Amino acid sequence: MLRQLLWLLVALAGAAGWGVLALHRGETISAAWLVLAAVGTYFIGFRFYSRFLADRVLGVNDRRATPAERLANGRDFVPTSRWVLFGHHFAAIAGPGPLVGPVLAAQFGYLPGTIWIVVGVVLAGAVQDFVILFASMRRDGKSLGQMAKEETGPVTGILTMVAVLAIMVILLAVLALVVVNALADSPWGVFTILCTVPIAVLMGFWMKAWRPGRTLEATAVGVVLLLLALVGGRYVAASPLLAPVFTWSALTLAYAVIAYGFVASVLPVWMLLCPRDYLSTFMKIGTILLLALGILLVLPPLRLPALTPFIDGTGPVFAGKLFPFAFITIACGAISGFHALVASGTTPKMLVRESDARLIGYGGMLMESFVAVMALCAAALLDPGIYFAINAPLASLGGTPETAAAVIRGWGFTVTPAQITALAADVGEKTLLGRTGGAPSLAVGMAHILSGAFGRGLMALWYHFAIMFEALFILTTLDTGTRVGRFMVQELAGHVWAPLGRTSWYPSTILTSVLVVGAWGWFLVQGVGDPLGGINSLWPLFGISNQLLAAIALCVGTTILIKAGKARYAWVTLAPLAWVLVVTLTAGWQKVFAADPRLGFLAHAALTAGQVAAGSLDPARGARLVFNDRLDAALALGFMAVTVLVVLASARVWALVLTRRRPAALKESPFVETAYVG
Amino acid sequence: MWGSRYRSARAGLEQMLRVVRRVAGMPDYAAHVEHLARCHPDRKVPSPKEFFQEYVRARYGAGPTRCC
Repeated sequence: MLRQLLWLLVALAGAAGWGVLALHRGETISAAWLVLAAVGTYFIGFRFYSRFLADRVLGVNDRRATPAERLANGRDFVPTSRWVLFGHHFAAIAGPGPLVGPVLAAQFGYLPGTIWIVVGVVLAGAVQDFVILFASMRRDGKSLGQMAKEETGPVTGILTMVAVLAIMVILLAVLALVVVNALADSPWGVFTILCTVPIAVLMGFWMKAWRPGRTLEATAVGVVLLLLALVGGRYVAASPLLAPVFTWSALTLAYAVIAYGFVASVLPVWMLLCPRDYLSTFMKIGTILLLALGILLVLPPLRLPALTPFIDGTGPVFAGKLFPFAFITIACGAISGFHALVASGTTPKMLVRESDARLIGYGGMLMESFVAVMALCAAALLDPGIYFAINAPLASLGGTPETAAAVIRGWGFTVTPAQITALAADVGEKTLLGRTGGAPSLAVGMAHILSGAFGRGLMALWYHFAIMFEALFILTTLDTGTRVGRFMVQELAGHVWAPLGRTSWYPSTILTSVLVVGAWGWFLVQGVGDPLGGINSLWPLFGISNQLLAAIALCVGTTILIKAGKARYAWVTLAPLAWVLVVTLTAGWQKVFAADPRLGFLAHAALTAGQVAAGSLDPARGARLVFNDRLDAALALGFMAVTVLVVLASARVWALVLTRRRPAALKESPFVETAYVG
Repeated sequence: MWGSRYRSARAGLEQMLRVVRRVAGMPDYAAHVEHLARCHPDRKVPSPKEFFQEYVRARYGAGPTRCC
């Protein structure tokens, strides 16, 4: 009785949050309402929908021994208590995606992003993570590609692997671009981030040679040194001698990041990658907790309107209308195909009980969604004029605060040149104009929150803390991603010539690392030189590819449900699949074929070719731009084709199983009764 | 009396550090040694250094460990 009352209260609180969001238009509301709506919905979704999924749809059985119990080896198969595993899984799935996407999508106002993040996660993203985690747990922790191969067919398996590789390339390029845009011409930021490399190497030697196994000790030292580097950056930026040394242009930074990716991929992991991974895990969990606390303490008012005029597709941050582009821009936080890789990687090998998959798979994704909501709050608390001054490309703002203020006033938001200059001075930068990519405006928002909660007057320090935090774990995604990409290429190349498949053979390692780094490096350099700012073309490509991977994962989930004789519940994955397909195929089609050159790759190629013909553009640069546009178009079409093929192949299996022309045989590991009591 | 308090505080701290290590995905040498003693008493116990090397190889050997 008391419990029912409590749930009623939670439901009412959530409803109140949504009510305020829905009814208050044209007035500033507090971020508290947004947080309330989100958290209330999460609790209701977790308590009721995820329980329905666990009990009715998946048939979670706690008498069945998990892989962690049956195959325990003390290394990767380790029974891990559920709250510990929750933290571990969350640290693995939450990357820069849920922080950057909502900030970019804020150009439509805060309402579309909020609705998609909260509703999307409960009905789509968390369902995907839970179903894939469960499926992998029932198959001794097999990967998504292996499950696709076994349950649907070999062609689907290979297509899935190719899709994963292509997505990784785009993901790494766009994340690198975010870092480059945040650090360009910022000696403070560049100095701090450069310091992370020797710090990580020091930690590596500490853990491996000096005090083996003392990972926590080494990490604690690393965190302290990192904070010292952060404070030191201020003096570097103020020094007339050192500041020019660390002032790097975007292109220089791009090549530096590419070199870093290559070095990290060929060096032994213990030296650079592993210590950075720990450093970034601690910074990530710590900063996210700090941000949550800050938002609760400050409860900032949301200055951005609920909806901006840019829902018609004329927005400066990226091109495209509310539908489908709000749903592409926010991928992580609502539904992210990438999670299917983690949910079918380390986590399923550590679950103690089958029912733990509900908290970790479904609940872990709710937590990531909450990170996205916080990022949205941090962007929405900025003055809209300031938001656009930071996020619109420099080409449309002009070079000075005066031109920028005039352009932004033309869009209908008020901002003065003095405000723009003052903000840049507050955070210790020369300029914040046209710093596209989301990271700087998120950092400004976070600095507002954190300095409001934990110390006014430290705005510049908090800003660079936030930049360091974002850059640190973006670069960690970059180096682990490059390495994983290298392994995948080596595995594929091993089919062609066996020695290439040996991951320990140095020539193969160098060759395949160059291939992977070269692939994302190409898109990165393209993004830096893009007249529309790079984010405009690359972020949608990333969103599309990530959502299409989600479509593949949902296909695998549906196949498993139908084969398990649960066809009457197949809508739990089919409905999100249909939505994701409609959104991404529409967006992909528009990115390729739209007549507006800001939106369509081919239209932009035609425009550029026209400029070259008219003599207003250098032919060599024009040819490169045209090539890049066509490459982006081909890539988008390729993603769409792979996904459609996987959907068709899966639909064929569904039809065969449902009409009983194929036996409904799952490739699950056999049932073994658990030895655990109670 | 103070000795036992010190020991239980130390055990509590040890337990807490173990949770932190697990969450961060760090290798837990003590847990591995325990596991070997319990399940494979015939096998040789690796040194901390060997254990760390083996752990790093297994963790970054293949497959994505981090997300977007």
